[in-house]
Amino acid sequence: MDVNRRDILKALMSGSALAAMTTAGAPVAKAGAGDPVPPLPDAMGLMYDATVCIGCRACMPACQNANGLKPDLGASGGLYMQPDSLNAHTKNLIKLYVAADGHERSFMKQQCMHCVDPACVSGCPMKALHKEPHGVVGWNPTVCIGCRYCQIACPFNIPKFEWDKVNPKIVKCELCRHIVGKTVSQPACTQVCPTHAVIYGKRSDLLAEAHLRIKAKPGFYFEDRVYGETEGGGTQCLVLSHVDYSKLGLPKLGKESPAAQTRRVSEFIYRGFLTPVVAYAGIVGIVRNRWREHLKHTHPAGGDEAQGEEKKA
Amino acid sequence: MTASWERCIRLNEPLKTKPFVVAVALAVLGLLLGFYRELSGLGYVTGLNDGYSWGLFKNWNVTALTAFGSGGYAVAVLTWIYNERKFHPIMRTAVLTSLLGYGSGMLALGFDVGRPWNFVWLAYPKTWNHYSVLWEVAVCMTSYFLLALDVENMPPFLEKMYRSGSGEQKMRAVKIFRFLQNIFPFLIALAFVLPSMHQASLGELMYLAGPRVHPLWQSPMLPLLYLMMAYILGFACVLLVLALSAYVWELGWDREILGRLALWMAGTALVWAAFRFGDLAYRGVLGDAVKFDRFSIFFLAEEALVIVPALLLLSKARRESPGSLFRLTFLISIGGLLYRFTPTSLAFSPLGDYRYFPSVFEILMSVGFTALAVALFLYAVKTFAILPATKGKIAAEEAMRPFDTL
Repeated sequence: MDVNRRDILKALMSGSALAAMTTAGAPVAKAGAGDPVPPLPDAMGLMYDATVCIGCRACMPACQNANGLKPDLGASGGLYMQPDSLNAHTKNLIKLYVAADGHERSFMKQQCMHCVDPACVSGCPMKALHKEPHGVVGWNPTVCIGCRYCQIACPFNIPKFEWDKVNPKIVKCELCRHIVGKTVSQPACTQVCPTHAVIYGKRSDLLAEAHLRIKAKPGFYFEDRVYGETEGGGTQCLVLSHVDYSKLGLPKLGKESPAAQTRRVSEFIYRGFLTPVVAYAGIVGIVRNRWREHLKHTHPAGGDEAQGEEKKA
Repeated sequence: MTASWERCIRLNEPLKTKPFVVAVALAVLGLLLGFYRELSGLGYVTGLNDGYSWGLFKNWNVTALTAFGSGGYAVAVLTWIYNERKFHPIMRTAVLTSLLGYGSGMLALGFDVGRPWNFVWLAYPKTWNHYSVLWEVAVCMTSYFLLALDVENMPPFLEKMYRSGSGEQKMRAVKIFRFLQNIFPFLIALAFVLPSMHQASLGELMYLAGPRVHPLWQSPMLPLLYLMMAYILGFACVLLVLALSAYVWELGWDREILGRLALWMAGTALVWAAFRFGDLAYRGVLGDAVKFDRFSIFFLAEEALVIVPALLLLSKARRESPGSLFRLTFLISIGGLLYRFTPTSLAFSPLGDYRYFPSVFEILMSVGFTALAVALFLYAVKTFAILPATKGKIAAEEAMRPFDTL
């Protein structure tokens, strides 16, 4: 049997009334959840200029020491720290890119890029990954459930997981947030860098410096641009190199962060929380009629078998 | 061969059959390995790594198999919203496959997460990240399982309690049943909204991974396509379970019910395919489909497995033949499961040199979680009135139905 017009009207009315009631008190997604997130005015970050880096790797043991990580001896046979990629013991890695013809080469410092609008923070169900003051992306072990969605989401493939632990942690650069501003003034890697290939500072200052360097040597840096200014909504760690950034393991990303794109899809579907509430109310309206009808079919005389059974029992 | 299913009966069959023993053994093995994983860490048991940090458990047991477990949701939409009253006799089978499918998936998820003790924070709203699609999946799936699925599966249990319990238990069964009768419409609506949300969100999960998912799958349409596939696979799972049960336990073959369900499945599959190709065309990546690389081959296999059987099922003769109905539904299931599985795994490319193939332990655990659902299904249909039956069979079991509304 079909629902008549009055029933639908009633269902819709109760739906909107319920929606109004719920949304008035409930936390509703901010207007424009899918809008691009601007960098914080005091966002701090790093700038790594691969053309200044001499590949001494001093920053790597400095990072291990500052973060209490045990050295990854990797392929060295046991004498040297030699990780082959970022891993649960390595938050910072200097790599060397050499083109097939052997002429074009560049170092690359691999670590968390501290995105302006990070995919890991947007995806983390429990706010374990979050934005600290100065826009640093920090990890909080107290609430992390170890779902590893951050590893799926990060376009730079940065967060690492302790696969061999019963109490595994997410390991990634947190810009030495546990010591910077307390016992030291800058992260371990920038402090020890002998050529200032990697420097620490305000993102806006670092960007200005990067553009000065590009202006001073036109045509020297790749496409005369600094990686991280706009990529994936911008990053707080910036990279300069004369080699194609995608060859250094930096992916080609659009101007918009995947986080903002995903929030926009969510917002399109959920409209705050209006869609589920209206759908719920509407369906309750429809199903109540169906249910009454169903009871009539299964209890043709209008009698109540269950009631009868109860009396008998 | 044709018969009409009237309502549900308990199977009067011995429980300890060979398939049951095998399923229980596999389930026990899977659970033992699961406990070993809790004591050792994920790396010792699985083939997961920092590039492919999601593997068989999340991509297969959760993302793919909960779509297969959406039968209760999908058939309920037909029964209660489209008012297809003929589906009432198969509703119990449908909601049972959902309970077991979701239960098995959530068990896999429990063993997959690295720090499961922090799940307690799900009860503390301050830690919730409302923007996280995974948070939405976690909350919605848990509440669907605890609030809707459990209660939808109560009536057979209450009947059993009424039939074999003491006088006091009889009273309690009736009381609970009457309470359920009053809240039932509110539950049905919950059992519609919650799965709609999290089945769509399971697709949106991968949208955040952006360019790491191959363009043949990566799309803002993922939520809609995943949701529609949950319907298709939900219908398919109920069809396969009923067809197998009818064959094994000689329940008869209700052409009208099964044929109609198959038509819904085929129709939804064709609409899905239209959206799938429309989306590819709109994003201008149709060319990738005929490159005949690894991705293109998976894509073509998936489309062929969904579309060809769906087209064949448009013929009434095929829908009414048990053999072809079963075979074609089976093929659609493979295609559909492939679609749900691929974006998280086969089409996912992290940066760097990473390879993933599930380890033997991982496969055994994954199989074990599914075997647990099978074992519980066999137990349930031989203990409670779940499977639909014809008039002749019902007469013998009449005493099982003290109150009949669901």
